Amino acid sequence: MAMEIVYRVKRFDGEKSYYQEYSIPYEKDRTILWGLIKIRDEIDPTLSFRSACRSAICGSCAIRVNSNALLACKTSLDKQLALYQTNILTLEPLANFPVIRDLVVDWENKFKHMTEVKPWLIGEKDCPGGTGYYRQSPDEFLEISNPTDCILCGCCVSECTQHTNLRDEFYEPFIFTKSWRFTADSRDNSPKAHLLPVLNEGGLWKCVRCQQCITKCPKGVRPADHISRLRCSSMNYGFTDNLGTRHAQAFAEYIQKTGRLNEVTLPLKTEGIFRTLKRIPFALRLLRKGKLRPLYFPSPIQGIEGIRKIYNRLRKEEKK
Amino acid sequence: MKYAFFPGCTLEGAAAENLLAIKKVTEILGIELEEIPGWSCCGATHLQDTNELLGITINARNISLAEKIGLPILTVCNTCTLMLKTAKQRLDNDDQLKTTVNKALSEANLEYHGTSGITHLLWVLLKDYGLANLKEKIVRPLKNLKTACYYGCHIIRPPETLGFEDPHNPRSLELIVEALGAKVVDYPARLDCCGFHALFPAEKAVLKMSGTHCLVAKNTGADCLVTPCPLCQMQLDMYQPDREKYLCTETKIPVLHLPQLVGLALGASPKELGLNHHIVDTKALLNKIS
Repeated sequence: MAMEIVYRVKRFDGEKSYYQEYSIPYEKDRTILWGLIKIRDEIDPTLSFRSACRSAICGSCAIRVNSNALLACKTSLDKQLALYQTNILTLEPLANFPVIRDLVVDWENKFKHMTEVKPWLIGEKDCPGGTGYYRQSPDEFLEISNPTDCILCGCCVSECTQHTNLRDEFYEPFIFTKSWRFTADSRDNSPKAHLLPVLNEGGLWKCVRCQQCITKCPKGVRPADHISRLRCSSMNYGFTDNLGTRHAQAFAEYIQKTGRLNEVTLPLKTEGIFRTLKRIPFALRLLRKGKLRPLYFPSPIQGIEGIRKIYNRLRKEEKK
Repeated sequence: MKYAFFPGCTLEGAAAENLLAIKKVTEILGIELEEIPGWSCCGATHLQDTNELLGITINARNISLAEKIGLPILTVCNTCTLMLKTAKQRLDNDDQLKTTVNKALSEANLEYHGTSGITHLLWVLLKDYGLANLKEKIVRPLKNLKTACYYGCHIIRPPETLGFEDPHNPRSLELIVEALGAKVVDYPARLDCCGFHALFPAEKAVLKMSGTHCLVAKNTGADCLVTPCPLCQMQLDMYQPDREKYLCTETKIPVLHLPQLVGLALGASPKELGLNHHIVDTKALLNKIS
């Protein structure tokens, strides 16, 4: 008997949500989207989902399969069945979006954050030599090449740890990518206009570095890397009076000074004396269990002079 | 079987018990570790925020030190693994970057060649040592122990850098735990993030999240959580009393470093494995396996 595969689809009719199972005969070398279209065409015309290009370009068919966001048109059905070692897959709409119907989500509230980072070139620079067009060097273009690949499918939003936790206090990953795409654009005359919203409103320093956004992106876009570059850029612009900057700079200083982290002084460097005082009960708890060595200060590692020379060289080159 | 050992900073500090367990387990299994002379902090996902090239160069330096002793690197912390492997991946695929980094490394009389691989203890146990060999060494099967496996982000994501298994449905940790004789519970948070790297700027969210992970594990009936990452272990274990004020419920569950769980099955004593250094008491768990 031919194998049946089952799509267990989370449905929503505007009032209630429920799971409905559809069985379809297995066919080799198909995509997840193939199954959805087959169900709609042959079993249930009321099943709602978006799709258009079938070529991983338009980004409209993003859904969750077994709790992982993906593009239905790009994803091999065979590989999903093999990955989960099952013939039953659970299909749901993207997380962290309001649902309109079944697998169709509402993008309306994402535009607010997008508008805040001003995703357009600002204050156009003069065209060199009155040529009427802008030239970018290969390096300048490469800086914005990866963020430009974003197709706004929403996969990164669905599994972002901190957006799930903080909602409006932490922008969707693709918003950081969009911010970096214009902050870094050599043709833009006002990079801070794209950067400051992510720093002040978007929770730039609250990213947990879970790497979900990079992992889930079907186009190889790297929002977590763009967050790192935005952080670096914010420091270069002098926005250093915040916990995240002090924490990052503490690591850079420890490595330069001794080569190793000092857990005892890290909270002091990051938070200052008053906030660190609140951590005394925590510190006592660790002391009682022998997990804290208050008098331990790491000695400089073997070869620390070499590390310091590396720092000096790279800092000099950075200034150039 | 010999590796260049990269302990990572926390094993000299708040996760020192993990170092005890690693030394005991590798001694029993006959895995030889040579600590990399002069290794430095990997930057723990923060260094590259100050200067991307510095982040890569510092880890190129660590790798080049291992290359000098001619051994593959063994890490025991997920984040160290990601930082080292990120540097290696970038350097091995970009000759121009490699030249730039090597110019900086020349200041320390070092050169990155790309000859040392980077692996994690979890992967070594599964792939290099092998489940069959591991099973042969077990003297105390953990047959009554219900265990929730918690991977931690930086041993599975991003896959093109880590590359050991599919991050959407990894099996390595469960395979090891099952080989020890323990029962793996169905734990929905097994691939979630503990929030360690944003504790200072987003404390409340991080504590609520890590507390929820423990609560979910308790609700599955697990006796303990186990993780291959000391940062996850610290986040899940050390802050239990702090986060209960946000969650308004008790979230206490013992959280073991993977080498501690392996060590118990290999017959090491709880003290040899540093189980007395945990914030959440491990006695109930130990009674269950004794």
